[in-house]
Amino acid sequence: MRIDAAVLRELRGIVGADHVRDADGDVAAYARDATPLFSAMPGAVVHPGSAEEVAAVLALATAHGVPVVPRGAGSNLCAATVPLSGGIVLVLTRLDRILEISAEELLAVVQPGVTSAELAGAAAKHGLLYAPDPGSRTVATVGGTIATCAGGLRGLKYGVTRNYVLGLEAVLPTGEIVRTGGRLWKDVAGYDLTRLLTGSEGTLGVITEATVALTPAPETTGTGLAYFATLADAGRAVARVIGSGIVPATLEFLDAKCVAAVEDYAGLGLRLDAGALLLFGDDGAAAPVADHLARMAEICLAEGAMEATVAGAAAESEALLAARRCALPALSRLGSVTILEDASVPRPRIAEMVDRIDALAVRHGLTIATFGHAGDGNLHPTCVVEAGDTDAVERAHHAFADIFRAAMELGGTITGEHGVGAAKLPYLAERLGEDQMALLRRIKAAFDPAGILNPGKLGS
Amino acid sequence: MNTTPPDPSAPQGIFTPELLDRCISCGFCLPACPTYALTKDEASSPRGRITLMRALEEGTLPDNDLRLQEESSFCLGCRACETVCPAGVEYGALLEEWRDHQWQGSRRPLVVRLLTFAVNARPRVWLLGLFRRHARTRPSPEGPHLMLGCFERALYPKVSRAARALLPELSAPASQGCCGALHAHNGDSARGRELALELGEQLPGVIVTTSGGCAAHLASVLGRDRVREISETLTETPRELPWTGARIALQDSCHLRNGLGVWREPRELIGRMGEYVELPSAGSCCGAAGSYAMVRPKDSRKVLDAKLDEIEAAGVDYVAVVNPGCYRQLDQGLRRRKSRVRAVHLAELAAGAYETTRSARTQAEH
Repeated sequence: MRIDAAVLRELRGIVGADHVRDADGDVAAYARDATPLFSAMPGAVVHPGSAEEVAAVLALATAHGVPVVPRGAGSNLCAATVPLSGGIVLVLTRLDRILEISAEELLAVVQPGVTSAELAGAAAKHGLLYAPDPGSRTVATVGGTIATCAGGLRGLKYGVTRNYVLGLEAVLPTGEIVRTGGRLWKDVAGYDLTRLLTGSEGTLGVITEATVALTPAPETTGTGLAYFATLADAGRAVARVIGSGIVPATLEFLDAKCVAAVEDYAGLGLRLDAGALLLFGDDGAAAPVADHLARMAEICLAEGAMEATVAGAAAESEALLAARRCALPALSRLGSVTILEDASVPRPRIAEMVDRIDALAVRHGLTIATFGHAGDGNLHPTCVVEAGDTDAVERAHHAFADIFRAAMELGGTITGEHGVGAAKLPYLAERLGEDQMALLRRIKAAFDPAGILNPGKLGS
Repeated sequence: MNTTPPDPSAPQGIFTPELLDRCISCGFCLPACPTYALTKDEASSPRGRITLMRALEEGTLPDNDLRLQEESSFCLGCRACETVCPAGVEYGALLEEWRDHQWQGSRRPLVVRLLTFAVNARPRVWLLGLFRRHARTRPSPEGPHLMLGCFERALYPKVSRAARALLPELSAPASQGCCGALHAHNGDSARGRELALELGEQLPGVIVTTSGGCAAHLASVLGRDRVREISETLTETPRELPWTGARIALQDSCHLRNGLGVWREPRELIGRMGEYVELPSAGSCCGAAGSYAMVRPKDSRKVLDAKLDEIEAAGVDYVAVVNPGCYRQLDQGLRRRKSRVRAVHLAELAAGAYETTRSARTQAEH
């Protein structure tokens, strides 16, 4: 959709001519994000330099009914930032300053374009931890991770992004700049709009500043690895670990197909006769971490692990974690389109869910390997196909539809941490029911009466 | 749902499909890219450029599109993105194919045309070094050989003299031509390949080079076993190195580090000659990027300025280089700033053939 010349002129007046682009070649790079198989050309790309500029852009868009899609680094995996209705892609990467880190108040104030890793690095210099650690933390912006309520590898112990957002400055589609929450750990004045905006996927407002909670950085981290004959055995070990009073920072699993792919790619010397690989780890003071690791290894062996190892030094820890880090690189090399999906089930149902995924993969004639976060029940079934093989792409769509349904049948959800975006919207009504869907639409309309903000996504 | 699956039905044949298909668009390359750091614009990131390449390949953008032209030139070609790519995209190879297509005829920057013309034939390369005191020996039938480089022999003849002083067994015939890296990186990869093959015939056996960029290109054509960058050769054999008493930083050569994975060797050598200081951005491009500093001087300076600030803040005496382009870039940059830090080739340091800075002298005296 072309944007009216008069609107473009006004946009240039607001943010400066250098920061508005509308030629096809200039906007083509913003047609997609990290989600495979979704792409749509924007009419213009705008890089605002302040909340006031964002406000003026949104007011203008509301007045003229022009769609606006807010975007950080575009690393999301749910097509949340693909401009399905054209319009403006509003890129927040120019707002990239860390405004404050307070060791006394255990918080940071940042602009949305700072990456999660930059924030974590700056916090570390003060001996502090910014806990949310999505796999894309070196790329993903704080604004984007808040908008998608990103998870990560330590969800069980540390929670997810929403547990760390204290306050937000956000611009409403109608142009008002609101500040929700603040620097307070306790604050119940009004509806919790901070949490509503967190995970709203750019459909309710544009985040222009965030106040986030930090925690003291743990003294040490330690890792161990266990092989099991079946994922069911690993699942029992996980249940017993948590039942024994340990809340581990790391509990990651790879199924046999992932292990085989990783071994083929990286040659780490992994056991190929196992049905599942479990990484366990913890962080904190040295003595309890060592104690937890030893107990977790014992429990794994008691539950029938073929082998359990605890890393002695940091370098050994890294070597163990390499298996997990290599999962995506290894799988992505099996074909040209890597569909990295996301579903969650209650923790005790993980093994059952992976069995269902395997059966569905066979039924649809696909290879689907699964890895994920055993601690919080979040799985990443990953399907690799060739771009040219339209039949396989079609089968993958059907297989994933079945997988999301299976997750819901087991009391789970269609997405644990990647988000709904355009990719999961077709399944949302099944997850939420019509009453909640209608409520979502009324909330959306209250924030965005003209329906300009990220149309075709949540609340649509 | 308004989705457009990738449509490989009408490919233009500009790119090797297997290379272009590799990218999974995860965006992990964004923080590694020096030009993305300057603009924070997706179009000037590796992933954004691959999206543009795909649009070109699919015919959805015409090849005279201004952004295609701009981004194919704005990219430094440093290949830092390759080191963080989980999918193993060979971005350097894609960029070569892109420029082969994009930089045809009048779309090829004038500076590039002049530079590649100057080194396209052996007699011209020989002429470049005619009045310069670079190393020269008779050709040896089986090597090992020292590669003199094309512009390197004219700009920094002392580097090949230092290399020969360290490795007298190397023969260095002045009749050798250019390795073709300049062509390969600037829209003529076919000629770049030819020149590398010719050089391989002129210099049989192992070729030792003092230029990281040439090493990576030569290795890609002749095979890794025929090519040795000098810091590899120097670490392979036990030898005494002069203690300089100085604080020394390193600027990696992008293609040496990102293309050949050689980065430990120069650090180890420096550590044996002085106090090694790792610059926070040692592994990222200095903005020289082959001919880039001449094709896009303004952008090159922007990349360089941050680097120079870092070098000066590090309190070092020398910044060692392993590539002539970086040498020129850092030497000129530091002199412009009247900095007391000197750029010096690693081979010169190892051969003891360098200008002693005041603080290094003082430290050596203590």
